[in-house]
Amino acid sequence: MGATFVVTLREAFEASLIVGIVYGYLEKIKARRGYRYVTWGGVLGVGASVGVGIAVTYLSGPLLDVGPDIITAVVIFAAVGLLTWHAWWMQQHARFIKGEVQHRIDEARAHNRLWVVGLIAFTGVFREGAETVLFLWGILAQAGAGTGWGSLAGGVAGVSAAAALGWGIFHGGQHVSLPRFFSVTTAFIMLLAAGLFSNGVGRPQWLGVLPASEPIWNTSWLLSDRSIAGGFLSGLIGYRSQPTLPEVGAYLVYLIVVWVLLFARRTPASVPLADLTRP
Amino acid sequence: MTRYVTLVAMLAVALGTAAVAADPADIPIVIEKNRFQPDVIKVKAGAPFVLVITNKDKGPEEFDMAQPRIEKVIPGGKTVRLKMPALKPGKYPFVGEYHSETAKATIVAE
Repeated sequence: MGATFVVTLREAFEASLIVGIVYGYLEKIKARRGYRYVTWGGVLGVGASVGVGIAVTYLSGPLLDVGPDIITAVVIFAAVGLLTWHAWWMQQHARFIKGEVQHRIDEARAHNRLWVVGLIAFTGVFREGAETVLFLWGILAQAGAGTGWGSLAGGVAGVSAAAALGWGIFHGGQHVSLPRFFSVTTAFIMLLAAGLFSNGVGRPQWLGVLPASEPIWNTSWLLSDRSIAGGFLSGLIGYRSQPTLPEVGAYLVYLIVVWVLLFARRTPASVPLADLTRP
Repeated sequence: MTRYVTLVAMLAVALGTAAVAADPADIPIVIEKNRFQPDVIKVKAGAPFVLVITNKDKGPEEFDMAQPRIEKVIPGGKTVRLKMPALKPGKYPFVGEYHSETAKATIVAE
């Protein structure tokens, strides 16, 4: 039971963090009407995960060999793009939101693009979702054979605990000042996306013919990415105890490029507040 | 433009050569009762190969190797061809992530 609890908690944790942050963000910019996009994104993400779980059992041959890898690759890079966009968007808002004008943000302006937060929730849930579904289903197959009900309970408890953590992020975010919420979540999203990008670039199996890269260092003695804590860090910020050069390179390049995009530009020509509040 | 075409042609030739030169060997493994059989798999170092993994169990299993990082789900009752990169001589342990207490095996490249 304990082992399956940890596995599902780890798989579902990242999704619930992303969803919690996006809800928290909408709450902060007073755009609660955007909640439904996130909710629908999350629900569709769960649906798509179950769909892939079922589809995989009906696939065979070359489709089964490469199909799931292609889906994973598309979802990883889509998630990187969407998270980067979200960080950029939050950053743009943070520029305008200064203390007393905070509550005057134009809701309509935000609404133009609110459907994108639904996409973010979708990819966040779908990315690890299919794997979680397959895992739980494997447990269920055993439970049907008369054993493993405890494992199944552990798996369900893991998903529930992850959801509770996501809710905690959302709720905790309400008590943090807006600029602080933005800067902390922007930094977190950048690290998360860097980890995903590095994960996507560093998978040797996607080309198959390329030689495997050697790890350039090994910190397994300190913290293995297979341990519980290491596994969480791996999901959160892409921690690897034995990273390869492509993985480290991709991580750094992503961070540098996005840092420049988000922060190194000079302050944009100030937009008069009147423009912001006009529908 | 010409340079671009030349580049693409060169790339195509290079890829073609790699595909012909590689022609990787198939290496079968079976998953049964949440264990890999055989649990020690010897392969030639320096040459890519294909693991042909057949899952005879009802539930799915995930092939999970830490280094190089390779993950692949094999649904119950299915066979998956997993392209593996050329490995340097050494031992490469992997597990079935869904049953990591029993599903443990090692690839030995020599």
